[in-house]
Amino acid sequence: MNAAAGELDRKIEALLADPAWLDHPLREALAALWERYLAQLHRLDRIASLSDRFQALVRDRDLTRTEQFEKRLRQVEKMTRISDGYQEMMRELNLQLQQASTHDLLTGLPNRRFLAERLKQEAERSRRSGEPLCVALADVDRFKHVNDSWGHEVGDIALRAVAQAMDRALREGDLCGRWGGEEFLVILPATRLDDAMPAAERILDAVRDVRVEGIPAEHRITISIGVAQWSAQERPEATLARADVALFEAKGNGRDRVMALT
Amino acid sequence: MQVTDLSIAGTQSTPEIRADAAAGVLSLAGDSYPENAFELFGPVIDWVERYLAAGDAPLRLDLRLLYLNTSSIRAVMDIFDLLEEAFTHQRKVSVDWFYDHRNERVRELAEEFAEDCTFPFRILPDEEAAG
Repeated sequence: MNAAAGELDRKIEALLADPAWLDHPLREALAALWERYLAQLHRLDRIASLSDRFQALVRDRDLTRTEQFEKRLRQVEKMTRISDGYQEMMRELNLQLQQASTHDLLTGLPNRRFLAERLKQEAERSRRSGEPLCVALADVDRFKHVNDSWGHEVGDIALRAVAQAMDRALREGDLCGRWGGEEFLVILPATRLDDAMPAAERILDAVRDVRVEGIPAEHRITISIGVAQWSAQERPEATLARADVALFEAKGNGRDRVMALT
Repeated sequence: MQVTDLSIAGTQSTPEIRADAAAGVLSLAGDSYPENAFELFGPVIDWVERYLAAGDAPLRLDLRLLYLNTSSIRAVMDIFDLLEEAFTHQRKVSVDWFYDHRNERVRELAEEFAEDCTFPFRILPDEEAAG
């Protein structure tokens, strides 16, 4: 309230309180008007106060809503982050499982299951394309002697070393895996027997360089290899059986060599 | 205490759930990717609410969870929210999250869960659980 209005209020209050004006005809009217004015003033105050409170209420509710919305948003973001984490974990576990189901634990090379599946596919591919296909079965020479003389742990290390040497000696497109025990299978797609033989020789060479700690230098680690070419009339198992016969011949002929069944 | 215990056997897709009001322990163990998460976790959330409302005894969560799908993650977050709320009212609540020490991923995810929680939240390799 400004100063002039305050002064007027005081003036009117003074006039109404002055007994000199008690019988003045305007006094009663002024007193009634004054009362009404005061009542209006009070109402205005109440309306203003109610309005203020209502506005505060709306503002608070908006704030709460915003807070709730932001809280929910944070929750959803957190949930998404964690969910992504679990999915990533599952993907990794899947990859591990896949690796475990297709690869040999000791050597890290493809396992028998994987090789058999691949051989079937390659035979099918060759049947369609007419391209040749060879397989080479390799067996570590006198491996039982290694195990018996220097223990199975040394034997395992030797198998790993042979696997690595063979794998490094492969040509582009060839696949080598552990067929079982001390036996390895090499699949040589788009390869005739004539080309398979030098490829097998290179593998023999690579294995001759293998040195294993715990095995004396005078014991040379070698492998024998039997090679066979797949023929369009046969199942891959038949090719493998002939490679096995060739391997048997390589062993019989003094080991550390490759033989082919013609 | 008038809060009844819960005992739900685990399946391949749902965790084993045990709520022991006398001991003040709620334990969840296993994988959780239920077809209907609400059906599975509804009674659990309900149990936590009733237990917290029924008195002032402490509550400890013993978690051995492996895989959680998104709705299970949400349910677990909801339970943690209840604990957080109780904790701000001076209730003694805590979480022990055990993980297989060979699976560091689960530890990392448990840490994500713990991020906004101010109540005691321990993440422990499972071998310690035995010892």
